[in-house]
Amino acid sequence: MEELRKERIEQLVDYIMKKCLWQFHSRAWDRRDQNENILLKTKQILCDEKVALETPADRCYWVDAVLLAEAYREKYAWLEGLPKEEVADIMKGVHERMDYLTIDGSLNQELTDQHY
Amino acid sequence: MPYHLFKCSECIPERKEHAVIKGPGETLADALPLGYLNTIPGTISERGCAYCGAKHVIGTPMKDVIHLSHGPVGCTYDTLQTKRYISDNDNFQIKYTFATDMKEKHIVFGAEKMLKQNIVEAFKAFPHIKAMTIYQTCASALIGDDINAIAAEVMEEMPGVDIFVCNSPGFGGPSQSGGHHKINIAWINQKVGTFEPEIKSDYVINYVGEYNIQGDQVVMDDYFKRMGIQVLSTFTGNGSYNDLRGMHRAHLNVLECARSAEYICNELRKRYGTPRLDIDGFGFGPLGASLRKVALFFGIEDRAKKIIEEETARWKPELDWYAARLKGKKVCLWPGGSKLWHWAHVIHDEMQVDVVSVYTKFGHQGDMEKGISRCEEGALAIDDPNELEGLEAMDMLEPDIIFTGKRPGEVAKKIRVPYLNAHAYHNGPWKGFEGWVRFARDIYNAVYSPIHELSKLDISKDEIPTDKGFVTRRMLSDANLPEEVRDSTEMRPYSGNFDCLAGYEDREYPYMKTQPAPGAAA
Repeated sequence: MEELRKERIEQLVDYIMKKCLWQFHSRAWDRRDQNENILLKTKQILCDEKVALETPADRCYWVDAVLLAEAYREKYAWLEGLPKEEVADIMKGVHERMDYLTIDGSLNQELTDQHY
Repeated sequence: MPYHLFKCSECIPERKEHAVIKGPGETLADALPLGYLNTIPGTISERGCAYCGAKHVIGTPMKDVIHLSHGPVGCTYDTLQTKRYISDNDNFQIKYTFATDMKEKHIVFGAEKMLKQNIVEAFKAFPHIKAMTIYQTCASALIGDDINAIAAEVMEEMPGVDIFVCNSPGFGGPSQSGGHHKINIAWINQKVGTFEPEIKSDYVINYVGEYNIQGDQVVMDDYFKRMGIQVLSTFTGNGSYNDLRGMHRAHLNVLECARSAEYICNELRKRYGTPRLDIDGFGFGPLGASLRKVALFFGIEDRAKKIIEEETARWKPELDWYAARLKGKKVCLWPGGSKLWHWAHVIHDEMQVDVVSVYTKFGHQGDMEKGISRCEEGALAIDDPNELEGLEAMDMLEPDIIFTGKRPGEVAKKIRVPYLNAHAYHNGPWKGFEGWVRFARDIYNAVYSPIHELSKLDISKDEIPTDKGFVTRRMLSDANLPEEVRDSTEMRPYSGNFDCLAGYEDREYPYMKTQPAPGAAA
């Protein structure tokens, strides 16, 4: 079961790494912010939850989340029949893995530069 | 072992950490080339300098400006014959190039007086141009000429003119990327917020990191206007000086080349709260997704979908025609910075070519993260390669074509590898749906060039076939195609015009007319 969960997380992470740009902002704090907000909104869309759209920044995160959720549904049929709590759990795993690949485990030496 | 040391660089062992082969199952946390570091002594880098990055990449595409280099005349070499960032005002910015022509005597006695004289003369020679950018060079930086003071003096004496000073001498960074950074920050510090632009729509964007190479900006501007979106400013291709002073009034910053222009987007986000949305303008899929994202932000997604539907129906059969003939061709994707990640996945997905190597001359590690993530396993990723490494890589990988700049491109030709100019294009624009087909056509024309085939023969040793006559690209490309592909009635080669931008200026944009939104600035 854990193997399957891991495999599914990797599939979703691979899609982001190959097709998206938002995860590669130039500083660690910025990447953390992007990962957190876009992946949270993606999870909310996939789980039919309410998505906050109060600020322009919210809308910006949301548009990337809309396209990501749409691609996930189109490409990964296994998402369709999954209970919402399992989708949320997989998205939590995606978030952790993205934070590792793009921030905590990243070899990019510029991430911790204090200035843009 | 993920890192790759070229044989020719064994005497420069530090180079090893600048090249990586993407292995199966490996991630960015396993290996990433170093980047944006000073060039290692002993390696003959192909990079440009920080002055070049500031002026020739970002500053000069601004169209209604006198661009003056304060330095030796050679610094301002790049102009009409090398740069292709066109504009809709008869290309003033690349037709005329200005330098103060510093000489040895100025190094000894100073060049401020001469600078002032040059500024005044240039404004008098072109009285319809009211703005100027002045670029510091190594020479004027080393002697400490106070360009800002001279500019302030002239602005006081000549009311009505405005001057921007960019202090980014050639030595001001490891590569041209240092200059990108400096001019971004200088522009927002000196000029943004000093002009109130006219707002004509409810939906207002800055289009950032777009340089109108052979008309890319014109194509993208058309899509935005078809959706009723006002492009308040373009940073900086075909961009107007005053529009760029008004960047603070946009609702959204749409960022194309993050390598050269993310800095100003980040600063606009921090100082004015304008969000940053990164997009991909190349390729049917990424471009479609990008148009949808911008439209979604404003709640007008149906308008984007209509454009995507129309453009895909018109151009997809032509893209497919080329993809069928380019399938499996090996590409070295060796541009300067952002195109390594803009193109790495989509030329594989949509044109069926295999990217066997990516490199960047001046990219940062962030660019490599994007490029390596997007290319296929087995690809060789190189940071700041020298000429010998480029030759060794081509020898090892045997590419069918490389996409790169003029200098490495000419080197490739000498070993019979065709190249396309990734910076200035061949028959652009390459952005947009039609543009993407034009790119595919250029690749096809290069890969199947009969002249190129002939060039592979060495008359000193090869047998020259005398039983073969005239051949065409089509004869070469279709020789081994399955019949159903070769004779397909669905697919067709490019059917657009030689000048595909003709007529854009006459287009009408109903949304821009029927739904004006006075005073909609945020």
